[in-house]
Amino acid sequence: MIKAAGIAKSFGRVRAVRGVSFAVEPGQVAGLLGPNGAGKSTTIRIITGFLPADEGTVEVAGFDTRHASLDARRSLGYLPEAAPLYPEMSVVGFLRYRARLFGIAPRDRARAIGAAMERCRVEAVRTRRIGHLSRGYRQRVGLAAALLHDPPVLVLDEPTSALDPSQVVETRELIRDLGRTRTVLVSSHVLAEVERLCSRALIIAGGTLLADGTPAELLRRHGGPARYVVEARDEGRKAEPALRAVMGVAAVREERTDGVWRRLAVEAGTDAPDLREPMAAALAGAGVAVRELSARRASLEDVFLRLMRTADPVREHAA
Amino acid sequence: MSAAGVIAGREFRSFFRLPVGWVVIALYAALTGVVFAAGTLQPGGVATMRDFFALSAWLMLPVTPAISMRLLAEEARSGTLEALVTSPVSDAHVVLGKYLGALVFLVAVLAPTLAFVATLWLVSDPRPEAGPIIAGYLSLVLLGGLYLAVGTLASALTSNQTLAFLLTFFFLVALLLASGTRLDFVPSWAQRAFYAVSIQRRVAEFAKGIVGLGDTVFFISGAACFLALAWGALESRRWR
Repeated sequence: MIKAAGIAKSFGRVRAVRGVSFAVEPGQVAGLLGPNGAGKSTTIRIITGFLPADEGTVEVAGFDTRHASLDARRSLGYLPEAAPLYPEMSVVGFLRYRARLFGIAPRDRARAIGAAMERCRVEAVRTRRIGHLSRGYRQRVGLAAALLHDPPVLVLDEPTSALDPSQVVETRELIRDLGRTRTVLVSSHVLAEVERLCSRALIIAGGTLLADGTPAELLRRHGGPARYVVEARDEGRKAEPALRAVMGVAAVREERTDGVWRRLAVEAGTDAPDLREPMAAALAGAGVAVRELSARRASLEDVFLRLMRTADPVREHAA
Repeated sequence: MSAAGVIAGREFRSFFRLPVGWVVIALYAALTGVVFAAGTLQPGGVATMRDFFALSAWLMLPVTPAISMRLLAEEARSGTLEALVTSPVSDAHVVLGKYLGALVFLVAVLAPTLAFVATLWLVSDPRPEAGPIIAGYLSLVLLGGLYLAVGTLASALTSNQTLAFLLTFFFLVALLLASGTRLDFVPSWAQRAFYAVSIQRRVAEFAKGIVGLGDTVFFISGAACFLALAWGALESRRWR
């Protein structure tokens, strides 16, 4: 598991991370989400032991990254952002080097390298020079290197950033599969990526952890009031007052008119139950013909933007 | 194999995969070839390589910074340093591995000069003495080791290879000039200090076939000091 307790880091007068705490359990794929300059990379670098925290502690697979640094690093597979590799080496040569560096026994090396190459689909380029590979292949070689020693904890910084759409789908599937038995922390600023890949999202901005939970929990907690769309034949302008009269409706506004059809956006009040049934009844009672009545589901993007707006004063203070 | 050995092996092999490695080998072979042909290979002269070894303090000046400049600077520039120091390897092993890889490559750079020894052996009568030649080569390795340690420190201080090259080159030039020239304008204690760290004086002793314990310890401990500083420079990211 990964356990960060109150980690803080400053660079001169800039406080990059301020008291961030979270724990990611085995079997979880957690997404560290935030805008550029939010403190994601610094948090990742503290977890991987590249940078020490000024305050707080980090445990990786039960090892304190400060006091049992080598044990923590042995338990960790890390793919840094943009997968930096040695361009003059061949793919298999690089993986052999990493296997030796991680102390994989000679008798197990060929099997470990073969398995990592197969999982990341790089066998076809095994003898090619890394410098001659596309960015997508380089990314996958970096991922293969992170998996070589079969670590219980994986930290992947923007793992799909250079991949084409089919490779993105394959890599997501691979990460999801790895996350069944391992602790996986994925850093990303792509909201859709985290929504599709992660069982848990950690939203960070201004060096502060703003939200932590499953995407469903975050939507419930930070998604804001429920919204509905109604499209009705409303020549008599009866739909709007009928909807306003429904208990729990906070606001109704017209989105557009298309001939006799009006499209209305309905916002529910906080803690209102599902209003589709009472709204349908109210519209039927008012004699309004309805061709659409649907709930508009909030996305992680809505949550993210809402949290960023809330965090703005913090970010301005940090700057 | 220890982690330092694994890193050294990768570093050594990488020199042969990059143009810079072959350029360094060619440059050193060309430089020493000129010195050997012009200074040593003289008809009727004494069969000795003393001048060749005595000049090596200067001949190695452009070569060793070219080897050491990329050791850590390139890792920092390309981002591979992050993957390296987050693997289960101590920073001391990273520095030591990089240095040893460069040192073994330096031995490979020196290898073609054995052709000069063979030539001298074939064409001279009486044959040259083996002792001063062996001592001379030992001095080249010790001297190169010291220069490379200075270069490793410079490479740990910056992510710019050119800057690392220039820092090493000018530091070594300054050291050679200060310790090899009589500087009347400096206080006597400073003159004594410069004499104590004189590189040319020590290399000249080796070239005569005299392997002094003090001189050997000087080169090894000097290299160790610079490597310790390089280790400190790499570790400094933790408290910067």
